[in-house]
Amino acid sequence: MGEPVAAVIAEDLEAAEEAVELIEVEYEPLPAVLDVREALKPGAPLVHEELGEYAHSPAFNPIPGTNIANRFTLKKGNIVEGFDKSEVVVENEFYMPQVSHVQMETHVCIGHYMADGNIRIWTSAQSPFTVRYILSHSLGIPLHKISVYTPYVGGGFGGKAGINFEPLVVLLSKKAGYRPVKLELTREEHFLAAPLRQGFYAKIKTGVTKDGRIMAEKIFYAFDAGAYADYGVNPARAAGYSCTGPYYVPNVEAESLAVYTNHQWGTAFRGFGHFEFLWAVERQMEIVASELGVDPVGFRLKNALLPGLTTPTGEVLREDAGRIDQCIKAVAEEIRWGEKNRGSEPGKVRAKGIAALWKAPAIPPNAASSAIIKFNEDGTVLLSVGVTEIGQGTVTSLAQIAAEELGVPVEKVRVVPFRHTDLTPYSWQTVASRNLFMEGRAVIRAARDAKEQILEIASQVLRAPKDDLIIKDEKVWVKGRPEWGLDLKDIVAGYVYPNGNTVGGPIIGRGYFVGTRLSYLDPETGQGYPALKWTFGAQGVEIELDLETGEVRVLKLVSAFDVGKAINPMLVVGQIIGGGIQSLSLGMWEQYVYDGKGRMLNPNLTDYKIARAGDIPEEIVPIIIENPQSDGPYGARGVAELCMLSVPAAIANAIFHATGVNINDLPLTYENIWKALNKKR
Amino acid sequence: MLPKFEYYSPTSLSEALELLEKYGEDARIIAGGTDLLVSMRDRILKPKYLIDIKKIPELRRIEYKEGVGLTIGAAVTLKDILEYPNVGKKYRVLWDAVKTIGDMILRNRATLVGNICNASPAADSAPALLILDARARIINRNDGVGEVPLERFFVGVKKTILKPTEIVKEVFVPEPPANCYGKYVKVMRVQSEDLAVVGVGGLAYRDRGDLVVRLAYSSVAPTPIRVKEVEEVFKKKNMPTDEKIEEAVKISSEKVSPISDVRGSAEYRLNLVKVATRRLLKELVEVV
Repeated sequence: MGEPVAAVIAEDLEAAEEAVELIEVEYEPLPAVLDVREALKPGAPLVHEELGEYAHSPAFNPIPGTNIANRFTLKKGNIVEGFDKSEVVVENEFYMPQVSHVQMETHVCIGHYMADGNIRIWTSAQSPFTVRYILSHSLGIPLHKISVYTPYVGGGFGGKAGINFEPLVVLLSKKAGYRPVKLELTREEHFLAAPLRQGFYAKIKTGVTKDGRIMAEKIFYAFDAGAYADYGVNPARAAGYSCTGPYYVPNVEAESLAVYTNHQWGTAFRGFGHFEFLWAVERQMEIVASELGVDPVGFRLKNALLPGLTTPTGEVLREDAGRIDQCIKAVAEEIRWGEKNRGSEPGKVRAKGIAALWKAPAIPPNAASSAIIKFNEDGTVLLSVGVTEIGQGTVTSLAQIAAEELGVPVEKVRVVPFRHTDLTPYSWQTVASRNLFMEGRAVIRAARDAKEQILEIASQVLRAPKDDLIIKDEKVWVKGRPEWGLDLKDIVAGYVYPNGNTVGGPIIGRGYFVGTRLSYLDPETGQGYPALKWTFGAQGVEIELDLETGEVRVLKLVSAFDVGKAINPMLVVGQIIGGGIQSLSLGMWEQYVYDGKGRMLNPNLTDYKIARAGDIPEEIVPIIIENPQSDGPYGARGVAELCMLSVPAAIANAIFHATGVNINDLPLTYENIWKALNKKR
Repeated sequence: MLPKFEYYSPTSLSEALELLEKYGEDARIIAGGTDLLVSMRDRILKPKYLIDIKKIPELRRIEYKEGVGLTIGAAVTLKDILEYPNVGKKYRVLWDAVKTIGDMILRNRATLVGNICNASPAADSAPALLILDARARIINRNDGVGEVPLERFFVGVKKTILKPTEIVKEVFVPEPPANCYGKYVKVMRVQSEDLAVVGVGGLAYRDRGDLVVRLAYSSVAPTPIRVKEVEEVFKKKNMPTDEKIEEAVKISSEKVSPISDVRGSAEYRLNLVKVATRRLLKELVEVV
């Protein structure tokens, strides 16, 4: 479902729409699979019969003759011994539907296949360099013949990662006699034909000792990738290597699958597999604690993954890693965990819930970022980076970093407001909460490169060794001798002596960054080093629940993240609030509703509900924790996706504490809650 | 994009009726356009002619006459209604209901007459208008104005008695009973703005000491409905109020016929009818 089968190119939109109505398509219905569990059964119809012949990256493991687009497996410790040592074993299943990114700006792009064989693309994309790379790879056209231009992007949330509709407009342009072709999706088309976030099914078996120590976990995750796995193979891998959540589990066996179905096709989505599996893990933690009769916050703290302990992939958590225990404690304190709930009207109850979270960027080991710093003749600075601006504001923090390093006020640093693959320094993708960390390090290196060049010139002019010079406040001077100095503006384009002699020239600094000692994971055991950094956090809610209608209102939302260092605290708070609301919206309302034949029933914002202003909790408390990571820029870690990972589990945990009813399927619509409460009665 | 159409913007009612007589089923009246344009964009409707009535001064009138009632012209927006002082004071249940339609942006354009002419089962203004005994004043070129009680105006899902050559000129809402209390309860899928999963309008007052109660619903039947049988229950003598309420809840839940759709299952809607009716009646009884 959702696959374009014909395209019309016309002089204007009106003509194109009229022409589309004239197309008649005859379909022969074939047997379909519309559920991941069904798709995995032997004898299920195969969505891709020729799966074995498809080219793919060696990081992925499709299983020919099945609907499995990627199978990730992980083995840590000894699962049999782990369960032998367990005194209580708890097993549960969890589920969530497919959802839309609902970016404010839908997909839009222009392709121009030019008569001379060069290709130009203007696109609302998160990752212009990846658009260029995949297009080059698939059409066999070398990179230097493809130019991708990206202005500010009106929202992405992962939906504009990788490549999307760009190849279509490029090829249509060729067909249209080398004229540029533009495609812009309406919201309805976006729902029906744009990639979405995959659905998810999980089964977790946890073994614990009576005193509340997790000994073993057997984990099964299956992502509903839809009919084309595309980017969707990758969240399954990411969920696989982070599978336990932020807890130390000595013995783990995990299998994480991306599974083809005939649903609409999936791609990256903010959280990238983590929103999905943390729903399962954080509900499971609550249920296990309840089975043991222990406090769920204490249970989480007891099993917290602290520096020195090993992650599921066998990585020893670095000594300057973030602290999950501090995040959980901060949230518990702010929502007054353990204190009596506030009173409510008759028929309604109030309750609290907490859930923790973690995530590392899901990136290949060689994912790179780079930066160029150019000084203008007047001493102002142009910073050029490949990270796109999709509303997250990373470039503001990068400008601050450049200003700090270069000794100029931030107002004198301008970040080039567009990305153009011919001019912009390379960035792998704008995804994974990686760009402040990676572009940040690249900017620091570019600034230091520029400063080195400035010192070279200043050393000659000031007749002083470089290491005796200092750059600050738009000046360079001899340490201890401010009177022996120069204005930066007089050096950065070459220093001109009174007689016209000139030394040096325009300053251009450059820098790059790639992760240190990241590795591919072992194909059998999943062991290795996937993580540039782990960001930890926790979220908590206070809710009011109407027991007769299932209506739930989040009164207070608290989130704490160990960001290492908040380069721009306002942006961090903005992310925490925005991400919290998105998380709440996804948890309570958002879902693709299909009929029995896999057709979407709610392709509009009337019936695909998202949170509006009136749905935002009255009280939102963001908490920033700063345990710096020594290889991050000024100690910073990424936080963007983290902000939206665990609100649904916190709400469901609160519902559990209010009623004793466990809800393990999303979304937590009022009707679904009412049905769950009814089942118990 | 919208399908192609010709646009007329008459400045008098007679001109509008003339056009309607001429084009009949090929024409559509447009006021706020908040329902019509959506249907046109989805290509469910493809009228060849749109007749905009917003420039007709007499249709933009909202007027309250003490002891007579409230007249709301076809081009009066929901925002105008909310800001007209006597609506909030005298017709609280109507004000409540209008306040829940769409959001502020939409209420700036949408009209009350449009809301009833669209005849959605979920029309929020309808339960209030039904229990206030509102009447639609219908006009065509040849016969002048006729008056139809709203109960007879709705025929089915998105269907009214209106003929292609007719316009609802205005809605008339008579003077409500003295000291009445009314409220519209709308259960939605979210806290902010939504179509009603179930809507209940209630009105109560004392007639020489005897309690009189009226109830009407949206989103639970092919048309908005008033359940008059409930009114009989409250006329019964020697029945404790609590029992009357339970009896009314039972009758209402039997009289409605909700369907299952993407907005809610029939079973959930039925539950909401019971819960909302019970809560609303308790409040009405307590207040009057």
